[in-house]
Amino acid sequence: MPESHESYSSHKSHKSKGTNVTHATDETRTASRLNDEMLSSMRPPTRRWFLLAFCLGAVVAWGMFAFSWQLTHGMYVTGKNRPVMWGFYITGFVFWVGMSHSGTLVSAILRLSQANWRRPILRAAEAMTVFSISVAGLFPIVHLGRNWIFYYMIPYPNQRGLWPNFRSALLWDMTAITTYLIGSILFLYIGMLPDLAIVRDRSHGLRGKIYAILAMGWRGSAREWVIYHKASTLMAALIIPVAVSVHSIVAWDFAVTVVPGWHSTIFPPYFVIGAILSGVAAVITLMIIIRRAFHLQEYLTPRHFDNMGKILLVISLLWSYAYFVEVQTTWYAHEPIEWEVFSFMADRYTIPLLLMLAGNSLLPIVTMCFRRLRRSIGVMLVVSLLVNVGMFIERFLIIVPSLSHKNMPFIWGTYRPSWVEISVNLAALAGFALLYTLFAKLFPIVGVTDVRELEAQKVVVPRGRARLPSLAGEE
Amino acid sequence: MTTVKVESAMQKQTSPYKWGMVIDLDRCTGCGACVVACQAENNVPICEKHEIAEGRDMHWLRIERFWVGEYPDVRVRFLPVLCQHCHDAPCEPVCPVYASYHNPDGLNGQVYNRCVGTRYCGNNCPYAVRVFNFYRHEWPKPLDNQLSPDITVRSRGVMEKCTFCIQRIRRAKEDAKGEGRMIRDGEVQPACAQTCPTDALVFGNMADPDSRVARLARSPRRFQFLEHLGTHPSVHYLKGGGREHA
Amino acid sequence: MKRRTFLQLGAMTAATAVLDGCRPANEKLIPYLVPPDEGVTPGKANYYASACRFCPAGCGILVRVSEGRAKKIEGNPDHPVNRGKLCARGQSILQELYHPDRVPQPLKRSGPQGSGKFTPISWEEGLAILTEQLKTLQREQATDWLALVTPQLRGTLAEVAASFMRSFGSPHHVSFDLLSPDWLKLANSRSFGNQSLPWYDLAETRYLISFGADFVESHLSPVHYGHAFGQMRQGRDTVRGHFTYVGGRMSLTAASADRWLPARPGSEGALALGMARLLLADSLYDNAAFAANGLRPETLLKALERYDLPMVAQLSGLSQDVIVEVAREFATTRPAVAMAGETVAFQTNGAESVRAIQLLNLLSGSLNRPGGVYPDGGAMAGPENSFGDLLSLVEVMRRDRIRVALIHGDPVHAIPQTTGFREALARVPFIVSFSTILDDTAMQADLVLPDHACLESWGDVVPLSSGRDKAIGLMQPVVTPVFDTRQFPDVLLATAKRLGSRMAAPFPHESYLEMLKGTMAKRLGARSGFDSETTWVDLLRRGGLFETSREQGKGYRWVAAATVPAPAEPRFAGDEKEFPLHLQVYTSPAFHDGRGAPLPWLQQLPDPMSTVVWDSWVEINPKTAAGLGIKFGDLVEVTSPPGSIRLPAVIYPGIRPDMVAIPLGQGHQGGGRYAMGRGVNPLDLVAVKIDGEQPQPAWNATRVRVTRISEKGKLVTVGHPEGSFRSELIEI
Repeated sequence: MPESHESYSSHKSHKSKGTNVTHATDETRTASRLNDEMLSSMRPPTRRWFLLAFCLGAVVAWGMFAFSWQLTHGMYVTGKNRPVMWGFYITGFVFWVGMSHSGTLVSAILRLSQANWRRPILRAAEAMTVFSISVAGLFPIVHLGRNWIFYYMIPYPNQRGLWPNFRSALLWDMTAITTYLIGSILFLYIGMLPDLAIVRDRSHGLRGKIYAILAMGWRGSAREWVIYHKASTLMAALIIPVAVSVHSIVAWDFAVTVVPGWHSTIFPPYFVIGAILSGVAAVITLMIIIRRAFHLQEYLTPRHFDNMGKILLVISLLWSYAYFVEVQTTWYAHEPIEWEVFSFMADRYTIPLLLMLAGNSLLPIVTMCFRRLRRSIGVMLVVSLLVNVGMFIERFLIIVPSLSHKNMPFIWGTYRPSWVEISVNLAALAGFALLYTLFAKLFPIVGVTDVRELEAQKVVVPRGRARLPSLAGEE
Repeated sequence: MTTVKVESAMQKQTSPYKWGMVIDLDRCTGCGACVVACQAENNVPICEKHEIAEGRDMHWLRIERFWVGEYPDVRVRFLPVLCQHCHDAPCEPVCPVYASYHNPDGLNGQVYNRCVGTRYCGNNCPYAVRVFNFYRHEWPKPLDNQLSPDITVRSRGVMEKCTFCIQRIRRAKEDAKGEGRMIRDGEVQPACAQTCPTDALVFGNMADPDSRVARLARSPRRFQFLEHLGTHPSVHYLKGGGREHA
Repeated sequence: MKRRTFLQLGAMTAATAVLDGCRPANEKLIPYLVPPDEGVTPGKANYYASACRFCPAGCGILVRVSEGRAKKIEGNPDHPVNRGKLCARGQSILQELYHPDRVPQPLKRSGPQGSGKFTPISWEEGLAILTEQLKTLQREQATDWLALVTPQLRGTLAEVAASFMRSFGSPHHVSFDLLSPDWLKLANSRSFGNQSLPWYDLAETRYLISFGADFVESHLSPVHYGHAFGQMRQGRDTVRGHFTYVGGRMSLTAASADRWLPARPGSEGALALGMARLLLADSLYDNAAFAANGLRPETLLKALERYDLPMVAQLSGLSQDVIVEVAREFATTRPAVAMAGETVAFQTNGAESVRAIQLLNLLSGSLNRPGGVYPDGGAMAGPENSFGDLLSLVEVMRRDRIRVALIHGDPVHAIPQTTGFREALARVPFIVSFSTILDDTAMQADLVLPDHACLESWGDVVPLSSGRDKAIGLMQPVVTPVFDTRQFPDVLLATAKRLGSRMAAPFPHESYLEMLKGTMAKRLGARSGFDSETTWVDLLRRGGLFETSREQGKGYRWVAAATVPAPAEPRFAGDEKEFPLHLQVYTSPAFHDGRGAPLPWLQQLPDPMSTVVWDSWVEINPKTAAGLGIKFGDLVEVTSPPGSIRLPAVIYPGIRPDMVAIPLGQGHQGGGRYAMGRGVNPLDLVAVKIDGEQPQPAWNATRVRVTRISEKGKLVTVGHPEGSFRSELIEI
């Protein structure tokens, strides 16, 4: 066994000696076996894995074909028109930005609030953030009329002295998403460092070299751990305002306009709540998948689902309140054109509207009130999936009806997504899943360190006269 | 040296012209001459039936027709709608690349070369006068001979809209500058106002209180379109009087 | 090269480069270093004055020409008809010039007749074929076996056509237009003994009542009256002219009215007489007018006895109060003017109804008064009954007494089927078409000798009803011909020359242009010395001859022998039970009688009232539609005694429940890519033999029934069907 792993083990055994408080499972499990279990996803790919990757890849390829079709033919291959100039792409964009809040929520908020049950899903959630924000970031580019000059929106110094418009919410979207993407990659990467070192130690050849580079020479020294925890905590604290700002800015895309149904001050908090709702639901779905795929039944127990269910209940209540406030103020003000938009939405999109209300509000609130249902994996799966279906509909219902029936009754219109838009959206989903599948194969999807830290809870590392906590949350 | 430069730059921001239009709905018969005039002047592409069915009509100027009442007490109201050239234009701040900008004469410019096609301006325009090039339009030969060399033929993927026939304004400015004078009232007219058989559309310099537009804009019949949105359009409408049945 | 020139050149190149990258570069750039011919300066536009011949109104135009290409048509500010204004159609004739499906050179039929298969031939060959055909007729002493069918021509062109036929020896020259104002001439002859068309002084009037005169769309001179209407409304400081419209369908013109009276079709004349009777009974008439016209109110009142209010209200379907109110308004507001239009005229009682309406002008003292009605300044010669001429030609053709038919225009499309013109024409062995595009008529032709487009042609355009002053517009080529085409009169001249000296005798001129110069010289000669070239150039520069001298004493005066107008009870083709709805065919503001259909700008122009593009439609009252289970955009079948067509339905709140309306202009079998197979031709429904009587031009006297076929009408409207009723949302 390579050196650094030894050192990690010795470090750990050293810790174990220094304390008598240990986890119950500790004694029955050796470090190596634990690592094996945690890293099971990185075993050589099976035929089923290839089949899955191939299917996902095929969908992505189809989506890329659809996009290139759009690129070569023009925006007419989408269902957009005047007045509905935004459609499924922006729906997808807002949806995926919302999804990206899962990682932040779970790792940062739970990390700061010392919720220990977060640990097995930490890495998965963080990776989800990175992938969904990457997917989200592609939508605005796909959606451009002239995609090939998307870089006009980037504030780069150029000989023409042309700068983008800093008053535009779209520019801030771009900025926020880039920041969030970089932040969440850092967050993911820093959190993964010790695990990368483990993987490095277990692999050979080219792979080993690559992991060695990625692990940045992690040795597991106590000083490294101290810095690691400080950095993790700091990142956690920093990433939360970024996450909130990202969705606030996305909400500004709509709130700063004069489009009836968009022009609403409640949009930023409403969008953030919506994002967290879809993020929480996505994490629950993910927990179920990971639990099943990597046989982590022992780590992800019904207790964890119970906790997530409680969060879902709270967020769903919050979302319902925000939605209620939005509709209620519109109803009370009874601005004719705004009310027209809402009436049109209720009239034309009755079924999606009901589905959204059921998925986002009724269903989670009713089911999550019951402990038994919260602890039922099946119920949790259905609810969490329906929440995200509901959230996609919610984005759609914000964007399309408002544009369809905006201020000019004479040119009201309708919108129907074309095969290109649907393909690109499906490809986004598949691409997200594919990135995930690849990530799970190449990197430890379950945070080895995090889980083992769980076992090492309350273990304190003596460094000279200081007694350093081994857990970030304990600072 | 630097200060001089800054000053001259500042001076450029002001202009003795504030172009505006008055549309007298009492004169407008809805005949559609302005629509074709605009299309002919500005290289606006020909849109086929299916394009219009899809809501991708490219007309920069449209005549909205509203039915009021029921037979036999039914009335029709026509409303020519073109870019309102708002002074607080919702389309301008949302464009991330400054393709939509305000020029010193009070016009909303659209820089086709700069436009990346976010269509954000199109969403945010309450008057829905911005049209997007969903298609790559072609002019079958020899129809292309008609294309005016004064205006770009827009590529697909960019927004376009009424410019108050800025090419005509430019020409008039050059002519006036050559003669060392201001543009005279009525000297420059966009194609729509020029052709309007009933003289319902009047164009001119709002900054000149004696111009015909400025005088008409002081009419008690004046109103602005979606005035409550606070966009401060350059286009003023005069209410159609007495179109009520006894 | 100056910097600015360079920039202009650059801009131009860029524009053309965007257009198409496939043409070789040297074709795009004007060779700047080579001395430009025709005064072409890159980047600099020239304006040429010309005249529009699209419709008979004859507006003056200015064409902006840049780099030898026509770019934009504007109204000629000096022309008294349109004063710098122009309608949608006038601006679109640019697309006639550059239409992608223009006939580029003479064509000879190569497939069976009507197949549209042609082989291109040279002009030499084309003229030879035509001459050969005519020579055969001459040889066989059968010169009256030649027919010439044209729209109603005026000016020099009319002379050329008439002389040609005369000297050839054929009486069969028919100049027929579906919408020609023959009916006005007929009514004027009967009432005033003067077939001059009326000119209404709308700009100065304070009360206008239009009986089906759609002057915004097509009536006489749309731009002229459009301009006058603007003046009438807001052109005077303290007066706003009031406008009442009478007609069963709310036309585009009616949409601008303050009051719309949806009178039953055919009852307008009775309504006018009922109003006249009210005026007489209440002594609201103009005494001086009676004296001037040699009429006595008492006799007239006696003659109108039977048009009492209840009867008129019952006939017209309007309430008595409204009739009284409108009559009073009309009588008490001076000046007031009544216009009679096509919807009234194209009924079985049309001519008498029009006279009844003219009587209102007499009663209110509006004849020959400012704000009233004057005889038109332009002398209007021409047939009074061109429909009769057409029918006799059809009869001759049916008897196979026509061997060669020369056709200018598109009568195959613009003449109702029931006249039998199409079948009769099919019997003609040799048909020559002069169309610029392969329209419905050219498709039937054996030989196509393409005419120049308007913007390539010489000509004088005598406007219709342009005002009290005489004005003659001059048409000049603004660009070199795009294709190998020749102007119609030049072809006639060339043919005449080939037919021998006897035939060529009435045409001493080298070309039509020379002849035109001669005509203009004659017109001017009477007044001043004609310094030929200078004056000619000056006329061309101004766009025509606009005179302000007015013939004194010319005015309308009731003929002593004229009877009191007595519109008969309107009759309709089709049994009321079987065909419960009246059909009205009306001129679309875009297509006129169909000649505008090949032009894409006009196809794309939303119809102002229905906002339909690129299609035909039938307008149905919402209640009637609900009764028939028809929804907006449904495909319906409209059946009349002679035929049936399928087209989408538009629910139209401004139409009588017992009436449906279909615009003219679509349903071409040819006409190039933009018109071919688009929409339907409502003339296929129109019966001309009503109640077994002699055929008459009563296009609006047919009854129809409407049945729903399916929901797939494929109707495209620019206006949102529901949003169009929500004006309260934008507070207008």
